[in-house]
Amino acid sequence: MADQVTDRAPSDPQPPDGDRRRDPLSMLFQPGAWRIEKRLVVRPWHEFVTLVAALVAAVAIIAGLVLVIGKSPADSFAALYNGAFGTRESTLETLVQATPLILTGLAAAIAFRAGIWNIGGEGQFFAGVMGTWFVYDLWGGLPAPLLFVLMFISAAVAGAAWASVASGLLVRYGTNEILTTVMLNFVILYILSYLLAGPWQSPDTFYYQTQRMADTTYLPRFFSVSRLHWGFAIALLAALVVYWLIRRTTLGYEIRGIGSNVVASRYKGIRVGTVTLATMAISGALAGIAGFGELLGLHHRVQLDIAEGIGFTGIIIALVARLHPLGVIVAAILFGALVNGSTAMQYETGIPKALVFVIEGTTLALVLIAAIVSRYRIRKTG
Amino acid sequence: MEEFFTSAVIVGIFWATLRIATPLLLAALGELVCESSGILNLSLEGTMTMGAFAGFYVANETGSTVAGLVAAGLGGAFLSLIMALMTVTAKVNQVVAGLALNILGLGLAFFWYRSIYEAEGSIDIPTVETMAAPWEFFPIPWLTILALVMVPVVWVFLYRTKYGLELRSVGHNPEACDMRGVGIISRQYVAVVFGGVMAGLAGSFLSLGSTGLFFPDIISGRGWIALAIVIFGNWRATWVLVGSLLFGFLEATQLALQASDVDLPYQLLLALPFVLTIVALVFNRSRSNVPLSLTIPYHRGER
Repeated sequence: MADQVTDRAPSDPQPPDGDRRRDPLSMLFQPGAWRIEKRLVVRPWHEFVTLVAALVAAVAIIAGLVLVIGKSPADSFAALYNGAFGTRESTLETLVQATPLILTGLAAAIAFRAGIWNIGGEGQFFAGVMGTWFVYDLWGGLPAPLLFVLMFISAAVAGAAWASVASGLLVRYGTNEILTTVMLNFVILYILSYLLAGPWQSPDTFYYQTQRMADTTYLPRFFSVSRLHWGFAIALLAALVVYWLIRRTTLGYEIRGIGSNVVASRYKGIRVGTVTLATMAISGALAGIAGFGELLGLHHRVQLDIAEGIGFTGIIIALVARLHPLGVIVAAILFGALVNGSTAMQYETGIPKALVFVIEGTTLALVLIAAIVSRYRIRKTG
Repeated sequence: MEEFFTSAVIVGIFWATLRIATPLLLAALGELVCESSGILNLSLEGTMTMGAFAGFYVANETGSTVAGLVAAGLGGAFLSLIMALMTVTAKVNQVVAGLALNILGLGLAFFWYRSIYEAEGSIDIPTVETMAAPWEFFPIPWLTILALVMVPVVWVFLYRTKYGLELRSVGHNPEACDMRGVGIISRQYVAVVFGGVMAGLAGSFLSLGSTGLFFPDIISGRGWIALAIVIFGNWRATWVLVGSLLFGFLEATQLALQASDVDLPYQLLLALPFVLTIVALVFNRSRSNVPLSLTIPYHRGER
């Protein structure tokens, strides 16, 4: 083990021992005395301990912030929890919030598995919304089952097509997909803005919105007391399909292959370009389906604020879930709970809803750092 | 169409271009230096919001716009210091870290703003005095002058100083720098924090420089546009200036169009910067100036 050997030459003057004992802090930073080194094996409990430490730190920081504005952290956390899971209705509403996040989380997870940084979930979500409305606008009179199928397919295809702009440029010209997907988010937003100001605008309003869709196109709801709609079932099904796809199919194997080592995959005969295009198409389709569900399950009319950051939150969810399709469900429900609980928290305690963003940002930052820290250890040498 | 090209409209577009380009230019120059060292900071939007709020809050409390400006810089520096801690020291994926800090920056600014100004139930949100222009006959704002001056400063720094050369080398080939004894960590910290200060100042232009107001949606995508400008400008200071002015001009024209009765969809002009950026990415690919180690964390002794 080469890293245990101190790199101090024997002739180097040794620091006097007296100094070390006097100042513990300088002892810590004494070169050769303590060193940070990579673990040879990272065990699950290393990861677990650092994760718990990160979460404790996050809770402490948030609690501190709540204290600073003169509120009680315990009360606010309780209000947040009760708002999210306190009653049957609030629990169901949490699932409503989680529904699109599962799908955009899956969209991000499958792309990231392939090492493709699809930041365009937000734009692909819009594409799905637009694809759904496009079919409704054109053939709204069709019988309901056929219309649903057409709208679903159109949403998925639109999302996939918008994602394929970025992956096409990546495969053909090698343009960085992080940068292109970020740009494309804005391009589609302005396209939608144009459509909502003109061809698609509801004739009875000046707002940028379409007409309300006919009742027959509403996604059925599970319970009369809640807004929870079939979109949730679609999302769960999608998670299972993505899990199966990644773990059990050739394409899934190739996706994981190009995600871990492009060069080796190419030598093995995997067509990296084709797999890239396929992955991005699937990723975009998932985000598009999220748009389908939100439009037909909740909003029933196209508006510019229909996404509310769902695409970006999906990226965070995918990472918190460590890119695991089933983990995405859990992470999405947690994030849905935060969004849902925050409204109740603001109402009951007067703490601004925006605290949720701080919770998300702080937790994510610390969890990310923890994942790296768990790979290292501090050892005393010499 | 002819009525549109009156001198009043053209003069209006000129001033609006400068006004809109200022925060874009400030943020983009900071991001240019940051990316030159190999760190992609996607959290510009959040950093600018932090700057805008910190500047507004301090200016409102102290009554001094200059103090607000300093606070805006510090606010930006604070968030970018976390960015540096995550990406340079902990070597977290830069895209992810940027997105996390975007949310954190926006969240902190919104949270403080709501708890300070709206929890008391007051609807009269205070306004602060904006930074006056130094000359009356040519009312070009102070921060615009600063932004324009920063263009040659950043260019000289990156291309005519030893430190700038080393900083760019770190962005291209950290292994070689490490071997030559050029400290990577310190240079990346300097670059990231410089970018944060610039983004903070850029944000403060919106709250302190032009409106004297703060509201949660104040940045509304300008951070992302600044990011696009760096790419559009192919990572060169002069082209960043061109990009900022061009994108500023497009938005200014768009505003003038909306006010007039010219029948041209203004969304076209708003989407154009992003389309142009993608086009520039494709066309510049053979002579791209992109730092070769952008987004790739450097681990000593690993390949």
